[in-house]
Amino acid sequence: MGTVTETKIPIINRRKTLTYLFYTVVFNTIIAIFLTSVKFGDGLVKNFIFSQCIGISICSCILIGLYLVKPKRHLIELFVIITAMIVGSVIGALLGSIATGIHPSIFLQYGFAIRPVILGLLFGSIISYFFISRERISATEAIIQEEKIRRLSIEKKIAENNLRLLQAQIEPHFLFNTLSNIMSLLETDLEKAKSMLVDLIHYLRTSLSKTRNKTTTIDQEMEMIRAYLNIFKIRMGDRLRYNIDIPDTIKDFPFPPMLVQPLVENAIKHGLEPKIEGGELSIRGKEKGDILQLEITDTGMGFHGGEDIGVGLSNVRERLQSLYGDKGHLILEENRPSGLKAIIEIPYDAY
Amino acid sequence: MTHIKAIIADDEKQLRVHLKSLLFDLWPDLIICGEAGNGQEALELIEKNRPDIAFLDIKMPGLSGMEVSKRIAGLCWVVFITAYDKYAVEAFENEAIDYLLKPITHKRLERAVRRLQKQIAASIKPPSDMTEVVERAIARLYKKGKPGYLRWLRAQHGDGIRLIPVDEVCYFKASDKYTLVMNYPAAELRGIKRNFHLTPMQSIEEFF
Repeated sequence: MGTVTETKIPIINRRKTLTYLFYTVVFNTIIAIFLTSVKFGDGLVKNFIFSQCIGISICSCILIGLYLVKPKRHLIELFVIITAMIVGSVIGALLGSIATGIHPSIFLQYGFAIRPVILGLLFGSIISYFFISRERISATEAIIQEEKIRRLSIEKKIAENNLRLLQAQIEPHFLFNTLSNIMSLLETDLEKAKSMLVDLIHYLRTSLSKTRNKTTTIDQEMEMIRAYLNIFKIRMGDRLRYNIDIPDTIKDFPFPPMLVQPLVENAIKHGLEPKIEGGELSIRGKEKGDILQLEITDTGMGFHGGEDIGVGLSNVRERLQSLYGDKGHLILEENRPSGLKAIIEIPYDAY
Repeated sequence: MTHIKAIIADDEKQLRVHLKSLLFDLWPDLIICGEAGNGQEALELIEKNRPDIAFLDIKMPGLSGMEVSKRIAGLCWVVFITAYDKYAVEAFENEAIDYLLKPITHKRLERAVRRLQKQIAASIKPPSDMTEVVERAIARLYKKGKPGYLRWLRAQHGDGIRLIPVDEVCYFKASDKYTLVMNYPAAELRGIKRNFHLTPMQSIEEFF
């Protein structure tokens, strides 16, 4: 709450000044009616004139005072307001007496001089309190509003991230090419069409549900990769050979979802698919002390910089960084004699 | 009238089969005089068999369909096939070049076939220079990854070559014949000194 009290000395601008004056006039009228009803003063008209004069004068003095002093602390602000109320009452009473034709010298007499000041202080305090608390409430509301906006923008960012992940998984080229294959297989090889459809469903279902789950296991992840690769196996035929080698000891190790997929996709999209004779893709998992390594190797085109190859990779890098800090790595190496090797390293002790 | 000949080029065999069977339904007289699994093969087939029509998948290994079309301009009519590059092929919208989106539907292919039949019947010659329009389509296709700065370094590490994203580089250090690349987080945060040597082909000017 510290920030609320520190920052909230009212800021004066034209719109606010007009609002204050408007409320002041309204309050003055109420005060005049109230005073008349308790038989104070010399009738409604005079009370009304006096009350407007004193009220507006106090309000103006406070505004001018705050404008000139620009208090940074509440004690000073309070002091400015009280002083302004006293000065304002006196000026207002003089103005009022001129307006009603009463000779100002009447205020030189003891009782008359003190009366407008007491009334001014009394009602002025009530009204000032009203204004200040109103100001505080709107300031608090502004902070709440700001907080809300901040939260919404974070949520938006998360949603955008999820969408990006989602879009990455159901890359349109992949989807339309696969559907195209299924359509064609429906006429020539029903069994193959069916198995391709099953793989596509498996891939889509697991990858879509995984954006929500925080972790999965290596085994489950490989299951999904297998479905993905089976689809490419049908599409690319002999041009794609793949093998997955994960030792039983690390099969159930928790693993972040959709971390391997972008690397496999990269290997196919930029490595094997553009290569006329195709090639081999292998995924190998191993534990090295307190580090778990997953190697995705292809014998494709290798790296020739540029392109959009970096987007998927930097996503993986960022996710490793946010999940494991400086203990998670993505290492890229040139494979021999051709292709690329991507190595994911995560801490193994977390198991 | 002699028989009309066509070739089909797509790196996915199943899709060639599919298009062939669709074409057989729609245009039984059309002779498919060759199939190609990559751009290079397509180019050779067209030069050898001189078909009237070439169905070219845009994304093919070797040469892309677009590259092929540039080289064979004037030899035959081109119909591009693509899974998703709709925006790129829209560059052909007002040109004499047609395109098909995968999965290819009977209805859409029929329209393309009728159009081809009309053009051939009217003895209209296929466009003899496709460079400009193809360049325009390619520009749309690859606009995201345009010229840009160097983003990856190839650096020797042990007896292998590592690829290091430029934004992970902490600093470079001159050292005898080599330039050392100190990268983050591998070098600094883990407290392990890992030095990378720039390969000769990577001159330092490329960074700036």
